[in-house]
Amino acid sequence: MSMYSRRSVLFGFGAAVGLASLPRHAFAALDGTPFTFLSDTEARSLALLCDTLIPQDDFPSASQAGVVDFIDLQLAGGYGRGERLYMDGPHPQGTPEQGYQSPLRPADLWREGLAAMQTVIGPLEGQPQSALDQLMTDLSEDRPALAGRVGAKTFFTELHALTNQGYFADPIYGGNKGYAGWHMVGFPGAFGYYTDTVDDHNRPYPQPPMGIGHQPGTSDFNSER
Amino acid sequence: MARRLAKTDVVIIGAGWTGLTAAYELAHAGKRCVVLERGSYRHDADDFAAPKEHDELKYAVHHAHMINTRKETLTFRNTASQQALPMRRLGSFLPGVGLGGAGIHWNGQLWRPLPSDLEMRSHYENRYGADFIPDDLNVQDWGVTYDELEPHFDFYEKICGTSGTAGQMADGPREGGNPFEGPRSADYPNPPMRQPIGPTKFDEAAHKLGYHPFPMPAANATKEYTNPYGAKLHPCTYCGFCERFGCGYYAKADPIICVYDQIKSHENFEIRYQAQVLRVEKAEDGKTATGVTYLTDAGEEVFQPADIVCMNAYGLWNTHLMLVSGLGKPYDPKTRTGTVGRNYAYQTMAGVNVFFDDQVVTNPFMGAGALGTVIDDFNGDNFDHSDLGFLGGGYIACTQTNGRPINYQPTPEGTPAWGADWKRAVRENYLHHASLTVHGSSMATPDNYLDLDPTWKDAYGRPLLRMTFNFPENDRRMADYVMGKAHEIARNMENVTSTSASNRAAEGSDYSIVPYQTTHNTGGTVMGTDPTTSVVNRFGQMWDHHNVFVFGAGLFPQNLGYNPTGPLMGVAYWTLEHIKNDYIANPRPLMDA
Repeated sequence: MSMYSRRSVLFGFGAAVGLASLPRHAFAALDGTPFTFLSDTEARSLALLCDTLIPQDDFPSASQAGVVDFIDLQLAGGYGRGERLYMDGPHPQGTPEQGYQSPLRPADLWREGLAAMQTVIGPLEGQPQSALDQLMTDLSEDRPALAGRVGAKTFFTELHALTNQGYFADPIYGGNKGYAGWHMVGFPGAFGYYTDTVDDHNRPYPQPPMGIGHQPGTSDFNSER
Repeated sequence: MARRLAKTDVVIIGAGWTGLTAAYELAHAGKRCVVLERGSYRHDADDFAAPKEHDELKYAVHHAHMINTRKETLTFRNTASQQALPMRRLGSFLPGVGLGGAGIHWNGQLWRPLPSDLEMRSHYENRYGADFIPDDLNVQDWGVTYDELEPHFDFYEKICGTSGTAGQMADGPREGGNPFEGPRSADYPNPPMRQPIGPTKFDEAAHKLGYHPFPMPAANATKEYTNPYGAKLHPCTYCGFCERFGCGYYAKADPIICVYDQIKSHENFEIRYQAQVLRVEKAEDGKTATGVTYLTDAGEEVFQPADIVCMNAYGLWNTHLMLVSGLGKPYDPKTRTGTVGRNYAYQTMAGVNVFFDDQVVTNPFMGAGALGTVIDDFNGDNFDHSDLGFLGGGYIACTQTNGRPINYQPTPEGTPAWGADWKRAVRENYLHHASLTVHGSSMATPDNYLDLDPTWKDAYGRPLLRMTFNFPENDRRMADYVMGKAHEIARNMENVTSTSASNRAAEGSDYSIVPYQTTHNTGGTVMGTDPTTSVVNRFGQMWDHHNVFVFGAGLFPQNLGYNPTGPLMGVAYWTLEHIKNDYIANPRPLMDA
């Protein structure tokens, strides 16, 4: 079990890094809760990968929006256990058109994939962003050959999907903190009632987002800045 | 040895649209009906209420309302020379489970087939000559005509509180409706849905080009409404959570509120949940079925004898159940004989992305499953096929249906899939995009079929269904042609900054079971008038087991350019009419083979 809070792990052991160097948006959990599935090292590597997919700009990066927390919880839950995945063997390799054929449950695939990658290119921490960008391009094109049982493209597909989900799913799942993803696109959330506005053309919708477990006062994106 | 229960008049496999409707109609005809549903009870009021139901991750991404592939799935390959592999995750299509079946998470796009669709071979041969249909297409007539089905289409539109504008009434065409549709005995029961800006601009551009746009018919009420069974529907809120979600607003018609609630207390109705039907049992005379064997929640095998067996599972699973039960003769692609599993077809989906300038704010989250504007000018045989080199067609629709941010991230052509440029494009385009969909027909071929897999098994030890499918060349040409028309309309829409077209059936690309396309699988148990090319006769009755009646889109000899629920429900009411008015009094084959 992790000794570090999610925030301190993701942002470089907290105390060692001055607050001034923290990203402008600090959405990751502040509550000191340890990760559920990921080790601290895995979480830091994952943050680098997720932030390569969704980097910071005017809106938070993936890890700043809680995507590592989201993936951690997904891997510990039904997705990680493959609860809705047909797992019976044999597991011959198929064509891309035949979809996921890994013999691994997603949780094992992530763990082995994160490890396998580093046997190829070394620790992700300390790599320049250009190297991480190149790594991501390679993975998406099914390179490099990862050691072990995890294909590069399979790992990329899962990583890309879950990073995206974590940025845009309802905040009850640990990502999309402060409704970062919903603010970014302009999605108002789970309380839609648009009978009188659907044909009121070209009028921007004024309400801030609200999720399933919405707490009043938590939609104001500006207050998070 | 299975425990044997007391006999019932009718056993119904599956509690979706067709199963519950069969129960309603046959229970009212005095027959005791037992419905076996492998999933659980659920209800719009308790289980689909907002905001809890409006959870894109749980329902749209993780498919909480759909089948669990751990228990039941199929194997898939593009051609018979490959090894089929399990569909380990859902993707391309999303069969349902539980009370209401896939009928609770449909989009509510409610169509009638064209009269010519139902007589497809005869129609094309009459118009273009006997040699027009190539030998490599198994194009067939349905064996039932539009005029025979019209009263049933009309009734089902009333069951659903359908919203729309009629195009062809008895006294002639109606402005603003679909001029190509078959003649109607009545208008839609509710006025059409309100249209957002994207479909409105599509309407303008289509008019300008001389086409005939009309509001998509929707199984969503637009005002307070009571259906012929007594169910009350409420006006749609355009909440944007239809496809993959149940409707807690009682606005989208579904089998629970429209049918189940109106039959659940009837003395002739009983439903059993977690009742996984394992097989249909055959009588020793080889002419009838004796009932079905199912597995209870507690793992006990139970035999339910019945005079009539209604197969109301999703089409793919009806085929599977026939194959594992030894009902009918399995299709053999080498000899091209046998019928069960024959004529499996899918749908050809193409589309055009339309990106607007900042003046147009589309608010894509304001949506409904069947919200949009359509042209039917390139569907069926509504256009001259003489020199086109293909049969069939599709509608072109500008819809606003699923603007939820995990699965709806439209970006202009050339945008990378991740990184800073991707992020900027998602941010800049989410509120300024419209989708044009080409929803196309799919012809059956001798090489696309369903049978049993030799390697993998389901959770009950039965061989998985095996699907062998790729898009026929005919369909690739059709989709490309109609997509070109859609692209032309897109380029004529005002305030458009860029467009990009895509075609799932593009030349050179194989059908993939991974990305979602449509849950409109058809065939496998097709209807007809010739037992060498159909599993059931024109009444939905099995040729070789006359007390087995089959329902659903598995009956379609080839797929239409329309969503299947309206056509399949029309056929369901037709079948039920003949069971009630003819078969019950004198059980026998209703047609000579």
